[in-house]
Formats: sequence, structure tokens, C-alpha cells
Amino acid sequence: MARRRSSTRRAGGGRRVPAGVALGVVLIIGAVALIGTQAGRPPQGVVQTGDDGAAAAGRVATGPARAGQGFFDRLFGGWNAASRIEELEAENRELQAWRDLAERLAERNRRYEALLRMPQDTFGEGADVENSIAAQLVLDSGGPFMRTLVANAGALHGVKVGYIAVNENGLVGRVVSVGQHSSRVLMLDDYNSRIPVMGEASRVRAVLAGQATRRPELSLYPYQLQAPRMDFIVGAQALREGERVITSGDGGLYPRGLQVGVARRDGDGSWSVALAAAQQPIDFVRIIPFVPIDPPEATADPNATPPLGSTSSVAAIGRETMTPPPTAPTAAPAPRPQQPRRQAVQTEAPAQTAPAQPQPQQEAPSPAEPATPPQ
Amino acid sequence: MNVFRMRAPGRGALRAWGFALAVASVILPALPLGPLFAQPPMPLAVLWAAYGWAAEDESGWRAPLMLAVLGLLHDQLAGGPYGLFAAIYVSAYLVGRIAANIMSAPNLVSLWGGFIVTTLISIGVAYVLARLGLGRNISVLPYAEAAIITAIIFPIVRPLYMSASASLRAGARR
Repeated sequence: MARRRSSTRRAGGGRRVPAGVALGVVLIIGAVALIGTQAGRPPQGVVQTGDDGAAAAGRVATGPARAGQGFFDRLFGGWNAASRIEELEAENRELQAWRDLAERLAERNRRYEALLRMPQDTFGEGADVENSIAAQLVLDSGGPFMRTLVANAGALHGVKVGYIAVNENGLVGRVVSVGQHSSRVLMLDDYNSRIPVMGEASRVRAVLAGQATRRPELSLYPYQLQAPRMDFIVGAQALREGERVITSGDGGLYPRGLQVGVARRDGDGSWSVALAAAQQPIDFVRIIPFVPIDPPEATADPNATPPLGSTSSVAAIGRETMTPPPTAPTAAPAPRPQQPRRQAVQTEAPAQTAPAQPQPQQEAPSPAEPATPPQ
Repeated sequence: MNVFRMRAPGRGALRAWGFALAVASVILPALPLGPLFAQPPMPLAVLWAAYGWAAEDESGWRAPLMLAVLGLLHDQLAGGPYGLFAAIYVSAYLVGRIAANIMSAPNLVSLWGGFIVTTLISIGVAYVLARLGLGRNISVLPYAEAAIITAIIFPIVRPLYMSASASLRAGARR
């Protein structure tokens, strides 16, 4: 240490900064500047090229591990093959019963949807599952700051930023960067991941916020009109422990209806989600093209005019569906004692009467003819 | 002196293992090998290397340059902004230099204490730079957990990065 201390001093009492310290300071300044230039920007250019190289290296590096895992699985799987077969057969019988039930329910669901004229919703609205791309996970950031994974499918395979990554269990994340041969997927438990979700049964809406090393947290605050800064939620008390959580499609980044996981209530009363995709190590992912549903204004027919020649469609809707506002009659009606009773009957049982025709609004009475209140 | 000459190859081998451990701590979390290899619980072995190389008063430019390269590699594999881990590791090196200068008679306890201080400062650096590069949502908690694990394990791995005692290190340089 004495020598170390003296190394900073030179003959003549002058104090010189060691080369390592000077270089370190320069490197830190450069690194901070580098971070500053990338702040707020998505990964691009060099990062994507680096991802391609790292993905190739990762594929090579994990090859022996994957092969070894398969070998040991086969080796140890042989010990209890007979019991395993019996177990699988029993499971298969049970699954066949479930399949029959699922087919019946699916058929009934199709009929209901046809009855309601609902748009087709097979794998989340807007998700193009027919053109999905299968990819293998080759790198997992595993770092303390970000939770991303690199899949071995990139622009050459048709992957684009914004595509959805799922595995056999549920939603994994969203593609945020695409290289030629690889793509980086931001996982649901990343700190920067905020996705709108809802309970499948309760329809409670929430925002799923990634927590990196822990389960993603559900932001469940009571919705208050007087506090618009409260971001989320309607009816938090309706959420049930163990309820399936799916994407709500709000915001247009994710299709609606993708399975996210199961709601879990933590000890402090907050809600989190046990991710469905994390039930087992993520190995293969399916990258699904997703085209958000256009807002009605974007696809509106410019030639279509509202009925009744109105310039406002809101006004037109109001005229069609709302009863005209009460106006003062120009003359006193003849006394009709049965009329109130008949109107009450119409209100109570509208289905038994003919639908009311939309009536044009009556003109306001002229000042020369004072309105007479009905008797 | 003879003793030192006999031990020199062993020291070199230990340092090589230490360097390999540092590289492994950067690469292994990036491989899809399961949560055991994620960071945390994997320690940040590059912090050991940074502190050890600073305390051993390594040659002027190699240590910070190697740390910067390891940091950039870590940034690439983690998908984070370039420079984040590089700045953390090089700052740990600089703090290690200061700590080494302060300590007049280092022993295991004081070296451990110096490393804990270095780790805490690196957490602060990570907090500032991660928010700068990755946004305000970022939490430094996982990094802090990994750094604390790194600090706890330090006495076990210290021989890979530092000589056995202060007197020996001082004697080695003479």
C-alpha cells in the first residue's frame, strides 16, 4: 500500500494522475455520454447487429446444454417408462373428456356469436396467427435491469417490431428490436413493460407492470372521476384469486384475449399475476403479426352522410333513438282522460306495441301565439 | 523472493481463473439456462475483478480498458444501452483505487469493507445511470441484490483477485 500511495507521487512533490485512473475517468465520461445519446430511443443499428452475432454465439453455446438435457431426460425417463405410460394414458382419457366438453362449448359459442353477429376472434383480435413465425430462444438477458430475450428469427424471416411473442402457455412479450437473423422480445416482467389486461370472468381492467425479478404487479386502484391521474381500474373488488388474466387490447399494442396468467393476491393486499408463459422454461416462442384495429374514423366512408341531412352523426343518432323533447303545443288539446293510462301501458310493455316512428321536431311556437299549458 | 517466484505461476493461474469467472458472470446470465443463472442470484464477478485489479495496482491502462470491454459485452447481452455496465465497472475500479490508497494496512476485514463500500457506490452509480439510460421505471433493486450477493461472497473468491495479505502484496512489488 505504501508503494501504491507513493506511485501517485513523483519526484519534486508534483502529483500526477496514474494512467489507469485517467483512462478510467475518460471511459466513464464516454460511457455516460453514450448512455445519454441512447436514452429514450429503441435499440437500433449496432445493437441489432450485435444481437445477431450474440444470437449465433448463444445458439452454439447452448447447443451442448440442450443436447445434454435431452440426453439425460431420455436416460432417466427410461427408468419409470411403464408408470409414465400408465400415467399418460389416464391423463389422455381425462383429456378426451375435456376435449368433448370443449368442442360442445365451442360449438355453442360459435352459435351464440353468429346469433350476435360478433366479429371473428380466434387468437386475439387483430392477431394474424396464420402467419406466425416459430423461433427458438437463444439468449436471455437475465440481467438486473432488463428482461428481454433474443429469438433466432429476424427481419429475413418476416419479423417486425411490434409483433407479439407467445409460447404454448401464453403471452411472453412483444418484439422491440429486429436484426437480420434475430429479434429481441421485451418480456412481461421487464420494468418498462406496462400492458393493459383484464380479468376474464370479472372483466376488471388493470395495468400489468413488470417487476423484473418478481411476478408482475397488477395496478388495481379504484377508479375515481375526480382523480383523473389515477390511471387504472374499474371494480377492483370483483377480481378473484386464481382468475385468468387476459390482455384487454386497450392501447392497441396487444391483441385482446391473449392469456397472460392467473391473478394472485399478495400478502400486502396488492395483486400480481403468475405468468402463464413462465410455467416452464421458455424455449420456443411463436411470433405473431399483429395489426391493431383501426379506429372508426380512419376507415369511415367519406361519402357516407348521416341520415336526415344532418351534419352531425351524433345529432342523427339522437333523433333516431331518443324521443323528441316535449314542446309546447300550439293549441290546447281536447280533454282525453284515457290517454295517460294508455301511455303508461306503452311504457311498461313496448314490445307489444308497434315501434314508434321517428318524428321530426316540431317548430317552436311563435311569440304571437302564446303556448297554453296542457290541462 | 524465492517464495514469491515459486508462487508466481500459481498466482497467475488464480488470476486467470478470476478473469474467467468475471467473463462467465457476464455471459452465463445471457444464456437460457434457467433462473439459477440469472442476475441475481448470479454475482457480478466483474466487480471483484475491478476491485482486485485496482487494489493490486495493475498496469495503467489494461484494467480499466478490460473492464470497459466487459461492460460493453454485458450491455450487448443484456439489451441495455451501451455504456451502462461499462460505466459501473470502471467506476468500481476507480473507487477501488481510492479505497486502496486509503487503506494503509489492508487485511481481509478491511479489504472486505473496502469492497462493500465499492459495491454500495456502484449501486448508486447504477441507480443514476440506469434511470438516465432506461427511464424512470427502472428499479435498481435487482442490481442491488446481485451486488449484495457479490459482496457477501467476496472473501471466498478474494484469492482469485488479490494476494493473500498486505505484507505479501507489498513484498511482491519490491
